[in-house]
Amino acid sequence: MTTQSAQQDNLVRVEGVSKSYGGVKALSNVQLDIRKGEVHALCGENGAGKSTVIKILTGSVMPDAGQVLVNGRPMPLGSVKASEAAGIAVIHQESVAFGHLNAQDNIFVGREPRIAGLFLDRKRMLSETHRLMARLGETIDPYKPVGELPMAQRQMVGMARALSQDCRLLIMDEPTASLSTRETEVLFRIIRQLKSEGVSILYVSHRMEEIFLLSDRVTVFRDGQYVGTRNTPEIHQDELIKMMVGRELLQVEGVVKSEAEHAGGKTILDVRNLTRTGVFRDISFAVRAGEIVGMAGLVGAGRSEVARAVFGADAADEGTVLIDGNPLRNHDMEAALAAGVALVPEDRQHLGLVLPMSVAANLSMAVLSEVTRAGLISSSREERLARELITDLRVKTANTRLPAQSLSGGNQQKLVIGKWLARKPRLFILDEPTRGVDVGAKAEIYKLIRKVAATGVAVWVISSDLPEVLLLSDRILVMRAGQIAGELSRQEATQEKVLALAMPAGTGAAAA
Amino acid sequence: MTTVDYQPLRPPLTFRDMLWSLAAKREYGLAVLIALIVIVVSFRSPSFLALSNISDLLVYCTQPAIVSCGVMLVIVTGEIDISVGSMLGLLTAVMGTLVSSKTALVPGFGWPVWAAILVTLGLGTAIGIINGLLVTLVRIPSIIVTLAMFMILASITVKIMHRGNITDLPQGLRWFGIGTILGIRASIWIMAAVLIGTWAMIRYTPLGRRIYAVGSNAHAATLSGVSVMRIKLFTFALTGFLVGVATIVTTLGAYDNGIGQGFELLVVTCVVVGGVSISGGVGTVAGVFLGVVLLMIQKPVLIFLNLGPGWSNWDKAIQGLLILAAVLVDHFAGRRKKPGAGGGH
Amino acid sequence: MDDQTRLATDAGKAIGGGEGASYQPPQLASPSFVAPTLTQRVGPFAHELLLFVVLVVGLIWAKQIAPLFMTVTTQQQLLFNVWDLALLSLPMTYIIITGGIDLSVASTMGLSAVVMGMCFQLWHWPMWAAALMAVVTGTAGGLLNGVFVAKIKVHPLIVTLATYSAYRGLAEGLSLGFASLYKTTSVYSGFPTWFTNLGQKAFFAGPDLRHPHWYALSAAGWLFIAAAIAMGVVLAKGPFGRTLYAVGHNETAARFSGLKVGRAKLLIYALSGLASGLASLNNAAEYNTAQANMATNLELDVITAVVLGGTSIFGGRGRIIGTVLGVALIHETREFVSWHYHDNTLIRLVLGSLLIVAVAINALLGRRSSRK
Repeated sequence: MTTQSAQQDNLVRVEGVSKSYGGVKALSNVQLDIRKGEVHALCGENGAGKSTVIKILTGSVMPDAGQVLVNGRPMPLGSVKASEAAGIAVIHQESVAFGHLNAQDNIFVGREPRIAGLFLDRKRMLSETHRLMARLGETIDPYKPVGELPMAQRQMVGMARALSQDCRLLIMDEPTASLSTRETEVLFRIIRQLKSEGVSILYVSHRMEEIFLLSDRVTVFRDGQYVGTRNTPEIHQDELIKMMVGRELLQVEGVVKSEAEHAGGKTILDVRNLTRTGVFRDISFAVRAGEIVGMAGLVGAGRSEVARAVFGADAADEGTVLIDGNPLRNHDMEAALAAGVALVPEDRQHLGLVLPMSVAANLSMAVLSEVTRAGLISSSREERLARELITDLRVKTANTRLPAQSLSGGNQQKLVIGKWLARKPRLFILDEPTRGVDVGAKAEIYKLIRKVAATGVAVWVISSDLPEVLLLSDRILVMRAGQIAGELSRQEATQEKVLALAMPAGTGAAAA
Repeated sequence: MTTVDYQPLRPPLTFRDMLWSLAAKREYGLAVLIALIVIVVSFRSPSFLALSNISDLLVYCTQPAIVSCGVMLVIVTGEIDISVGSMLGLLTAVMGTLVSSKTALVPGFGWPVWAAILVTLGLGTAIGIINGLLVTLVRIPSIIVTLAMFMILASITVKIMHRGNITDLPQGLRWFGIGTILGIRASIWIMAAVLIGTWAMIRYTPLGRRIYAVGSNAHAATLSGVSVMRIKLFTFALTGFLVGVATIVTTLGAYDNGIGQGFELLVVTCVVVGGVSISGGVGTVAGVFLGVVLLMIQKPVLIFLNLGPGWSNWDKAIQGLLILAAVLVDHFAGRRKKPGAGGGH
Repeated sequence: MDDQTRLATDAGKAIGGGEGASYQPPQLASPSFVAPTLTQRVGPFAHELLLFVVLVVGLIWAKQIAPLFMTVTTQQQLLFNVWDLALLSLPMTYIIITGGIDLSVASTMGLSAVVMGMCFQLWHWPMWAAALMAVVTGTAGGLLNGVFVAKIKVHPLIVTLATYSAYRGLAEGLSLGFASLYKTTSVYSGFPTWFTNLGQKAFFAGPDLRHPHWYALSAAGWLFIAAAIAMGVVLAKGPFGRTLYAVGHNETAARFSGLKVGRAKLLIYALSGLASGLASLNNAAEYNTAQANMATNLELDVITAVVLGGTSIFGGRGRIIGTVLGVALIHETREFVSWHYHDNTLIRLVLGSLLIVAVAINALLGRRSSRK
């Protein structure tokens, strides 16, 4: 490709964009060119900055620096309206805005065609809907509440809305995460169709297979930085994986025990044939005292769901969970807690912390009875507990009475971990423990996890961050599409091997 | 992908939509329940099905049905209005005072009927707008705003009515309650107009769709260029206006200061039994109307069943049990499909 | 942790008190510092202080224009009217802190009263047994609300709206229905003196009944004071209170932290029913009458008192001391208006306006309550 022609064909050009959230750099000086009528894949691991770029393109986030050019002219940033006017639309995984409204209404909310300025032009809405659906080559019941349609059809509605706005760049964020294989095929057909009509598509995905099948060019981000852009046909899958994962591993001190040493450890968690219909099936594994078991897999592989079922937050349909050899009652969080299971959830803001309450109150929440004397919470005991944990975990907070929401993401995560440490758990489940955490705090959290394991706690880490899994785990389980696809020991595990297991069958083999 | 049984060339059958909304679960269940009640009662006393009795039953329904249309839309947007009862009381007192003659036992202003009606509708709308502004601009939770408004309006009503009941009502005004057009009571015509008007607004205007969009996902509605504030303000104003309409169609020949007591909770009950979700986004006119009918026929039914002297005192208990029953049906009978309102909160 | 932070924490502990204390350390190393809201600057008790000032200024003004209103004897007489409202407002504070609401409290009073009256007058139970029955009825009614809210997970507004009708309707059905069926009365009275004394006589009044000690209160008054102190301490300091706040802010996180959310909800609604049962005893004793329409509309006054006292209708915020002040303000306003202006109709006008103004001031001062 010649740079000259590329310049002319450019529809959207992102230049030197940076963005930080509370001291954490999400993007630094990245670039991205999207040509007219191309499918441009954007890939990178979690935390690479993909979603931040999407938010900047759609105007819901204001970057700290840089600009976005549309057809060579700078687009006003931080305005949803301006992005819409520039023809940029996005379809998320959960693309439906109004689940209670039907397809036609969803497509036209806010821009309804009218008769005499007052009444809905129902005829036009329906014919427009048919026209858009015909363009997508799909049929959808236009009368049914969209929330009751299958996921794939909901995405069609989202796409139809985007098309009705004369969209020129359609951003699709992990569109296949919740689709079946056949639904995915339909989606691909539509993407090709749109491409042939001159619509550009920015396709964000983890899935190698899809990237190679669909895209013309691919851009890789890593840790908020631009790594490179390649023509897809000219790049080999191995090379692409290297671009994505070629990241410095954090060094963490701490003794790594060998497999043999762990073999002697007592089995704490024993999961047998655990199944939740349609989510995961036949999951069996064990975690021993002092061992750190990592669980890798793509987004949507069902890892967090297994953790929720073990914790008793969701019901399992079949199978048993044993802690120290005693079976846990299905769907009984209190039993799991009593048996010593602790969960640091993925969504810490909603599930992990009560943000408006103080740091001390959050830290003592799981051990209220221990700081209670004569039926009342003893402030001095609570303060002592909080300070011990804050010192241990090196939480940065001015005092223990500040609300938890005033802390940074990394420090909030330390609070969640600390809350459970106070309880001295038997099994510690950490779901994406370092998501949204800056590098410095990451290393500290790793050290902490190691320290916890060293005290004889069974640790189960779920993470989409490959280096993290490799760094922490004594053993790695890889999940794919709701099943355990394989197990790797610390010695044999490499990023490529893990990815190969995590990818849909057929494509992974080449990488391995 | 499963093939959808659907022909792209199907004309826009609005009748089909009507059938669809009738067939949705709650409406269906209510209709069957009402039908059963009517059949049982008319077996026991056939006069229940006499035209005059059915007309009376519908007249019972007019006030709650008219106001429920407004309250339904308020609840659909995720807010609530519990000031409608004392608003009805106040508007009745104001209207009565305006029309009754200067020479009556309790002297009024002797205004012409049309002027009094205009003032009633205008005052209702104004109170609704005040409610709406306090909710949207000052950002006070709607339950607090309308609770306070409930107390304030009730107080003013008693102030106005302290001289005694208003009995001197001109025929022109009473016509709206008891007059007939084509043999059918004027109040029933007005109720039908309000129901159909609300249904049509929901169905055929962008405004109607936006009310549901706001209730379904306020954040997404804002992103789609819908002003959540204006929509909510409108629903409160409309509710005030409809309370004005309900005031006018009263069948009473004399006004006292007890009018509207408990009416707000009756209306909310009708709306909830009619299948409107308190968390917003869901509700149909058909369901709400059936909810009103179910709640309003139970007292006459108890009388018609003639079970004994004590039975007519159980209507309130039945009203409460109906809500609990509706709630339990939702909970156990498969939990109504909750549309996944994506995004948002 | 470095020394400076440690120092800051010490100071924070010394100065700051309970939830959301105001203290900010002199130097902030952390970039995650949030600017203190007005409430924090004035102190965590700003709302209570404001209420207190309004109350004191109001009472001084009342003394100026109606000296007889502000005498100990008058105030003591008027206090007999407040205890229903006061008793119900305590559990209502708990409930609203969790983000719930209980519309059924006054209806529960009616039902308890009717059950008691029927037991006593129609079936000739001993008074103590009838009174016990009223308390049991109230508690059972509250428990049923709690089961629907905590176990079946229905919105509290819907549940208690239903029981608001159902309990009042049961009371009417039982009393009026029974009355018309067997030609008996539906208004029960003629309770024994020891019982009516509970609501009509002050305890610790001293030898001179016309000039009782300033601290003389009726049984319900003493009960309220004991309950307010106990429930205030539990809310501020107890693990149970902590659970209530956590539920109000973020129920899922509370559950995921192992707090017993369902049990707590069940308990507070049952407590509310218990308070209704006790309040119905006080009301029946005070007027020597028990009937189905007891305390009509009282639920709205109770909610007003709690919200006026600074409890957020969205949950997570509120204190018993605020509720006590809210009750006091409502009581004094109510009594003064009817004492001085001989006009009961004005009371609600004043209270409604007071409620809107108080909440609007809170809202406008940027105490931003996250909606939903």
